[in-house]
Amino acid sequence: MKSTINQLITKHWAVFRLIGVMGIMLCLVSLMSLASNTGNKAEVSTATLVVKKDSVASVAAFKKVYRVLMSPRCMNCHPAGDVPLQGDDSHLHTMSPQRGLEGKGVYAMKCSNCHQPTNTPGKNTPPGNPNWHLPPANMKMVFEGRTAHQLAKQLMDPKQNGNKDMKKLIEHADDGLVLAGWNPGEGRTLPPMSHAEFKKAWLTWLSTGAYAPKK
Amino acid sequence: MSTEQVSRRNFLRMTSVAGTALCLGFYFPSSAEEAEIINAGIADGIKDFEMNAWIHINVDGKVTIFNHRAEMGQGSYQSVPQIIAEELEVNMKDIDIRFAQGDRKKYGNQVTGGSSTIRTSYKNLLKLSATAREMLILAAANKWGVTAQECFAEAGHVIHKPSGKKFHYGELVVDASKLTAPANIVLKERSAYKLIGKPLKRQDTPMKTDGSAIFGLDKKLPGMKYAAVERSPRLHGKIVSYDATAALKVPGVQKVFKVRMGVFTIFREGVVVVANSTWAALQGKKLLKVTWDDSGFEHISSPVIFERQQQALQKEEGLFLKKQGDPDAAVAAGKKTLDLVYQTPYQSHSAMEPLNCVAHYQGDKVEIWGPIQAPEWVQDYISAQLQLPLEKVIINMTFLGGGFGRKAFMDYPHEAALISKEIGAPVQVVWTREDDATQGPYRPGISYRCQASVEEGEIKALKFRMAGQNNDQWRSGKKLTTANRSTSEGFLAPYYKSIPNISFAEVQFETPIPTMWWRSVYASTNGFAYESFLDEVAHAAAQDPMDLRRKYLQDERSQKLIDKIEEVSGWKKRNKNEGYGVAITECFASTVAQVVKVSKDNNGKVKIDQVWAVMDCGWYVNPDIIKAQVEGSIVMALGAATIHEITFKDGMVEQRNFYNYKMPRITDIPPIEVFVMDNTENAGGVGEPGLPAFAPALTNAIFDLTGKRIRKLPFDMASV
Amino acid sequence: MISLNINDKTYQIDADRDMPLLWAIRDLVGLTGTKFGCGVAQCGACVVHLNGEAVRSCVTKVGRAEGQKVLTIEGLSEHNDHPLQLAWNEISVPQCGYCHSGQLMSAAVLLRENPNPSDEDIDHAMAGNICRCGTYPRIRKAIHMAAELQKQKETTE
Repeated sequence: MKSTINQLITKHWAVFRLIGVMGIMLCLVSLMSLASNTGNKAEVSTATLVVKKDSVASVAAFKKVYRVLMSPRCMNCHPAGDVPLQGDDSHLHTMSPQRGLEGKGVYAMKCSNCHQPTNTPGKNTPPGNPNWHLPPANMKMVFEGRTAHQLAKQLMDPKQNGNKDMKKLIEHADDGLVLAGWNPGEGRTLPPMSHAEFKKAWLTWLSTGAYAPKK
Repeated sequence: MSTEQVSRRNFLRMTSVAGTALCLGFYFPSSAEEAEIINAGIADGIKDFEMNAWIHINVDGKVTIFNHRAEMGQGSYQSVPQIIAEELEVNMKDIDIRFAQGDRKKYGNQVTGGSSTIRTSYKNLLKLSATAREMLILAAANKWGVTAQECFAEAGHVIHKPSGKKFHYGELVVDASKLTAPANIVLKERSAYKLIGKPLKRQDTPMKTDGSAIFGLDKKLPGMKYAAVERSPRLHGKIVSYDATAALKVPGVQKVFKVRMGVFTIFREGVVVVANSTWAALQGKKLLKVTWDDSGFEHISSPVIFERQQQALQKEEGLFLKKQGDPDAAVAAGKKTLDLVYQTPYQSHSAMEPLNCVAHYQGDKVEIWGPIQAPEWVQDYISAQLQLPLEKVIINMTFLGGGFGRKAFMDYPHEAALISKEIGAPVQVVWTREDDATQGPYRPGISYRCQASVEEGEIKALKFRMAGQNNDQWRSGKKLTTANRSTSEGFLAPYYKSIPNISFAEVQFETPIPTMWWRSVYASTNGFAYESFLDEVAHAAAQDPMDLRRKYLQDERSQKLIDKIEEVSGWKKRNKNEGYGVAITECFASTVAQVVKVSKDNNGKVKIDQVWAVMDCGWYVNPDIIKAQVEGSIVMALGAATIHEITFKDGMVEQRNFYNYKMPRITDIPPIEVFVMDNTENAGGVGEPGLPAFAPALTNAIFDLTGKRIRKLPFDMASV
Repeated sequence: MISLNINDKTYQIDADRDMPLLWAIRDLVGLTGTKFGCGVAQCGACVVHLNGEAVRSCVTKVGRAEGQKVLTIEGLSEHNDHPLQLAWNEISVPQCGYCHSGQLMSAAVLLRENPNPSDEDIDHAMAGNICRCGTYPRIRKAIHMAAELQKQKETTE
């Protein structure tokens, strides 16, 4: 177990060198508990976690993940520029709200000025979340325009992923804003699979070596 | 009509505290060109004197000036008093300005449309103000026992020049009111004006920066209820049935019933929810379940509209509005001819203040407060529909949060009056933005076929015909047998002198879509066709587009206008990689020339660098308001040309709110520079004439830069 | 009952917590300077400050504002003399004026956070406020002027 993980670390996670075995163990525990906590029947087995480096399974899992991340519900807040996207056609957000340093907008155009803690009722009204924001300016985590290969690399690069270690990456699947993608407000299409399915793919991808597809 | 035939009681509304007679009136029969000045009796003991319908002066010298027109942004609240204060000799800062009620006997035509406020009333306003001043001077002269020639008026006082003695107007108003209005008043020369022609700050700005201006939506009455109406998504649907169970369960909802409102000659049905707050009414409206009968009218879609128009334009000559020479023959025999089609979309007015109206029906009378452009039309209509005498329909004006033509209809006040009558309480009806966007009436979408014959650089003939809905059809409800009177609106009269063969015709075309005036009306679409086409003609004749206009607009006024726009835009000093386009249009007695400059940004996309506009509106009051109106007209034209349009699908409007009827925003606006010509020609309109020239100047500029000709609006700047 | 602090005054209102702050302010409190334009956070006519942020009151539930500080156009300054109000008057910015309560409340946050805004900053702050009369060129000009006035005020105080 230790050796496979170390190989992984060597391959992808420079940051893990700093964490040590205990940390890794914790990650795995939390991964398992998270998976079961959500009642995911097809939960990630210990075997999957332990048996690392399955490039085929990993790439297959990421392709699912990618479909979700590139859906408007996820990509719209991970734009290439500093203006979020909007709508199922991912057009530039009307009235060009700017990312700002913290990703929360600027001046009179802060996200939470329109985006309430909960969805506003009705069609074409602002969806809500208590922590509505884009990735911050120093860690933009762009999805828009990224190939599956680029996105996978980027997600695993702590310099680009907001210094997220394994634990944080796993947790991110249940982040409030990520979950908001599946509660998008009236009239918006859902991501192409359920959150449970997405999470399963996400964890599978992570636990099989987080391989990036070739393209 | 002579003064003798007029009962003085007709026009003297008792406004004073004592409620007795007033002193001097100016009667404006709606048919008369000029006001007739008449005197009325005077009673003692009152403190507030109606010098005339526009001017009240109390014994303390406080001057109140009544603005008889709607203030919807165009500036009547400033420009009407600015005219009056000039000849009355009072300072703007010392006067109170109030909205007049709707009262045609006092004020004549109060319909604020056609950019008419100043151009139709300035001569009378100057005269009545000067008359009031002269009477005050005479009263002072009489008090002092001197001749009026020794006295002059200034800043609300009459001063005896030799002695320096002075009275304020309040000390003179009682005596002045007993005098006979003098005839042959001499008006000031323009050069002597202290206020007129000056860019004075608007008196309504302070109220609009601290929230105190009262718009229609801000009107509150004791015990007032709020109402929202569920309306047919297909414009003419009739109610088969409705279920109000859920709506009535909303806390605050009090009553739900069917209501019917007239839109000129048609009636529209709706289900109204009356509640104790706007929010409750809006929630109730959402919960209504209405079954509509959508039979009996075509469920039209936009592509069909324009297809039919353009087919008709190829087959039919239409009804001629104007014809000189023989353009048919000239075009048929022409060596070089052009035959092109232009298309312009339906548009919604979308004033920022959604439609709303407060009505209080009280058995024998109904009182209305609201954002209303045409008080007497509302009065007429409600009087007829509710069978109340005209004087029992009282129309109070508020500020309008934009109008652009939409608020000249009677539907929403009529509906408010009916609801108030039904519930027996004052009520405010609030239209949602969705109601506003989906119900119209709209600016009609129009197709144009333009033909020309050009020989050796000379325009031999121009032949224009349009196919689009006729707003007059909606007003009259009858099939019209003559051409739309606005068929040539926007086209400059001097062309008739220099081009031998010209015709304008209307190919009649109707749909069930209600249409009506939209800022600058037919000129807003005609201008695009005519001025784009002239640009194409110029290129066909191998002439500079500005030179072509100069050549065919030979009158001195046009020449000066062209000089000015050429100079300010640097038309002749254009750089490479810059596109310049010019357009000149006329409507409501004013002519506007515009030049738009475009270039490509770093990504190769066309962007607008600058707009120059020159307005010739003749005699004018406030150049800053004129500039603001032209700036605003250009922004509105930019939206209509490049951002939004109203489209129909299966009889329903597809746009519902600003998310899909997008507006220009601050990020879309190029620098705009406006110039106003100085002359003493008759005053022309200001609120609308700045709009039509923009779209063709822009597309002409894009052609100049890229060689790409845009003949259909709106178009997406990003896709050029 | 919901307790609202608006312009430093406390109001007790009897409203559903889901009622938009806009209608509570207009219909229940009776302050009508805040306008209804679209109801879906598209136009900015309804902007008020909630704890200093330029929220759109048409989509902000009154429950969110409970016990918080709300500032409306009526409370922007005591004597209509906020630098923005002075500049708006100096330049005669409004035409119909309906959107300008919202324009001013948005601009006030900009000036507070950035006393020296560039044209780009103005774009970033003001693109959420629609003006159908097209007063945008003057809004831009007036914000620059207000920034100057604000600086002068600070140096004289």
